[in-house]
Amino acid sequence: MKRELPWHSRFDLLGVTFLLFLLGALGSLPAVEGSGRNLDYWGNISRFASQFFPPDWSILGRTLEGIIETVQIALVSTLLAIIISIVLSIGAARTIAPLWLLWPIRMFLNLIRTIPSLLWALLAVVIVGSNPLAGVIALTFYSVGYLAKFFSEAFEATNTDAQKALCSLGASPLQAFQYGLWPNARPIIWSHCLWMLEYNVRSASIIGYVGAGGIGLHLKLYAESADSWNKFSMVLLCILIIVTILDFTGENIRKSIRDKLEGNRN
Amino acid sequence: MTGPLIKAQGLGLKVEDRWLIKNLDLSLDRGSFLAVTGPSGSGKTTLLRTLAGEMEASLGSVKKQLDCHNRLAMIFQDLQLADGATALTNVLGGSLERHSFLSTFFGFPTHEQIEANVLLTQFGLAEKAHQWTSTLSRGERQRVAVCRTLLTRPLLLLADEPVSSLDPNLADKVLAKLKDYITSNDGSIVCALHNDDQVAKFADSVLHLDSTDPCGWKLEEIKKEEGT
Repeated sequence: MKRELPWHSRFDLLGVTFLLFLLGALGSLPAVEGSGRNLDYWGNISRFASQFFPPDWSILGRTLEGIIETVQIALVSTLLAIIISIVLSIGAARTIAPLWLLWPIRMFLNLIRTIPSLLWALLAVVIVGSNPLAGVIALTFYSVGYLAKFFSEAFEATNTDAQKALCSLGASPLQAFQYGLWPNARPIIWSHCLWMLEYNVRSASIIGYVGAGGIGLHLKLYAESADSWNKFSMVLLCILIIVTILDFTGENIRKSIRDKLEGNRN
Repeated sequence: MTGPLIKAQGLGLKVEDRWLIKNLDLSLDRGSFLAVTGPSGSGKTTLLRTLAGEMEASLGSVKKQLDCHNRLAMIFQDLQLADGATALTNVLGGSLERHSFLSTFFGFPTHEQIEANVLLTQFGLAEKAHQWTSTLSRGERQRVAVCRTLLTRPLLLLADEPVSSLDPNLADKVLAKLKDYITSNDGSIVCALHNDDQVAKFADSVLHLDSTDPCGWKLEEIKKEEGT
């Protein structure tokens, strides 16, 4: 016999939040106003887009130099952020640190995360001038806010059985952490590091806009000069290629780590 | 040093208001192998953990005659290995108590690595030494846990079903090696087992636990035939 579910059974947490989201989005529509002028949108788009093609290959050398600087900024800032984040995340992990240390570090990380990467870049440019060092400083701070949070969550979620076993076999707490907890958390942490590196290459591509080094400066110059959209598209193409390569490599490494960790326990 | 390695008197074990064991008297001489048997839930693991000092006895006392803490080691039923570390690193974890944090920070001393490799070879895991334990089978992981515990060089070994995932032949070999390793150093083993053949082959005495009656435990000597 077919039994109908009561009408309100659909309104679980998921349903209610989705409904609220939908109402909020629809209610916000009046805030989206155009200029009021009668513009030829499609004409504008096609005229603008046509200026992107064909990309100007004559600037390839210069663009690659900018891309290399961007990747270098991303690599150095990610490395610095990893080192700082490992130390901070131990203090921010509920399963490891005492409460008096946990909350100040978490508040500090929240504060860092509140500031977007472009603002960090502006602050760094003001302090150290317009150069790649500003980019490294900006992205290091920005990344620490996220990586330390991810790492501490990884430590909290990691199985602590091996750590406890080593303690009971006579290891000191630090040794039990290094050989019991760290090996289990390491794959997840490395996966976060790769994600952050990908993210930083993207971020390093834009912070040059405010003078913090990398390919962003090229983007700014081409965007501001007339008739350089084909050069602009060349830069975008190079960024797209490098980001796609990183995306593909990162995903494959993450998958292989995942497979290895899940193993074949027959 | 002489006398029993471990002695329990009037031991009572209770988990969540349920008595598992009452009035247990136990004395384990050097060089002896005590098997603990009984159905699931009869208190084998609780007894081993209490003897190891990880749990408090509800009644009675446990006295150990060991010169220092590391002479007692346990093989855990759930193995408790680090999945993201190699089999060799997991085994070397058993040597940590002998070294300071700084001296093991960048790796283990060569002589410990040699000893760990010898153990892995003896237990048929030489070719798996550099594999992550997450990629090993349950039986292989069980042997890694055995090697790790043996590397602590225990005098009193508490083993919670150490061969439950091994085929009978391999289980016999592992138990024989365990017994040889511990008893040749004048140590003793308390081992939870499910297989009666293994109990008859390796144990000197057996403690049967009863899941329905906390006082229904039976401690028996196992008479060995000549030549066995």
